[in-house]
Amino acid sequence: MAATVSSALAARVRAGSGENACKCYQCKKCSVGCPVAGFADLHPAQIMRCVQIGDLDAALQSKFIWLCTGCETCTTRCPQGIDIAAVMDELRMIAREDGRVRAEAPFAAILELNYRSFRRWGRLYEVELLALDKLKRPKTFMDDVPMGLKMFMKGKINPLPTIGDRGQMKRMAAAADRIVAEKRAQAKADAATPAGGAGGAP
Amino acid sequence: MSRTLAYYPGCSLHGTAKELDSSFVGTAAKLGLTLAEIPGWECCGNTAAHATNRLLATALPANELVKVKTDMQLDAVAVPCAACFSRFMATIHEMDEPQTRADVEQVVGRPYEAGVAVRNLVDVYYDEVGLDALKAKVVRPFNGLKVAAYYGCLLTRPPKVTLAEDPEYPTHMDAVLKAIGCEPVAWSSKTDCCGASLALCEQAVVVKLVRSILQNARDCGAEAIACACPLCQVNLDSRQADIRKTDPAWRDVPIVYLSQFVGRAIGVSDSELGLKKHMVPVEAALA
Repeated sequence: MAATVSSALAARVRAGSGENACKCYQCKKCSVGCPVAGFADLHPAQIMRCVQIGDLDAALQSKFIWLCTGCETCTTRCPQGIDIAAVMDELRMIAREDGRVRAEAPFAAILELNYRSFRRWGRLYEVELLALDKLKRPKTFMDDVPMGLKMFMKGKINPLPTIGDRGQMKRMAAAADRIVAEKRAQAKADAATPAGGAGGAP
Repeated sequence: MSRTLAYYPGCSLHGTAKELDSSFVGTAAKLGLTLAEIPGWECCGNTAAHATNRLLATALPANELVKVKTDMQLDAVAVPCAACFSRFMATIHEMDEPQTRADVEQVVGRPYEAGVAVRNLVDVYYDEVGLDALKAKVVRPFNGLKVAAYYGCLLTRPPKVTLAEDPEYPTHMDAVLKAIGCEPVAWSSKTDCCGASLALCEQAVVVKLVRSILQNARDCGAEAIACACPLCQVNLDSRQADIRKTDPAWRDVPIVYLSQFVGRAIGVSDSELGLKKHMVPVEAALA
């Protein structure tokens, strides 16, 4: 059967990100300008194709979605005006939501630590992030710690966190979690029903 | 009367980019700008928020913009970190969508009112101060130092969000450098990504991206790179140690904040410029 450019995955991506992957006509401008495509297995246009035809496994297992730097070159150049970087963000969220983050994805762990850090302190606490990451991935100790120490010696790294308005951060994070959880659960349910294709107004 | 801008330093400027904070504040004072730091400012959410929870990612800058407009009664905020700038601009863009706006106001707990201009480091010198006023303040002009103006990603992309002059080859930073006596070079890596967001997890990729940018600057005659993003600066500066490990003949390229160039030209003190905080020495380029 020929692949159909309309899938439950495309609908789910659209519900979460507002981006309609079905508009992509595979010109590959995104892939040509991508700084990290050469280091990955799939390139951005291939990920867009996975979304179109509903190949969730290929999209979530690809190295690419955890190598994307969010540089927005693809988004800037897409002739169809698709925010391709937002589609990559959406696939990361779907991977987490479905408990299907690929085994080799150090960036996923860093983003998670980063996210927890600023929510806890109101601001990003770099020492904590680095320490927790090295506990998880001790083999990478020499990659960053010597440079971190040099930066510490130059007074560029604060040993203690600098703290923002933690009360307001806590309130906002809780409210955003609640609203997003409701919406995503609804979108996932809608996308799973046959009527919930990627169609509708473009 | 001097113009007052709200000031959002962001996490990096209180940590790895303290010299961007002090040099920016030093130049603002000399250029007749009063900076009012937003009380109790919080992290903009950075890449981690928009890859995890879009609503929170939009709400965090919105919360700061509400403080600027409602509490501080100001119409513009200086955001020298390119990454924070991009998140603030994304919020302004996304708030045009009524459902997003309603959700964000629920999260922030207060109504949002549009109308706060967000100024990045280049904008402050180019738009708020202006090239003529900047030139008039120069006391120690550079003598034609060849500099590559590096924008990276987030100052310009995507242009519908950042409202950048030209996302592929912006030149306002070049114009600022020219106004203080530098000679900006034409080069090709001006808006290339340095991979800074992968700095803690994909070293091999990052070193290759950094090297390619630095090499292109050198090949186009640059003696230093000017940048306006704390993540780019740390990345381009610190990764040269890794390049030297595999290439002993590597010639280091000083990575200087635009605010340090401007500050040096208008007489900001060396301690405020924070010249000792760099990994690759910058004193010779700024001598």
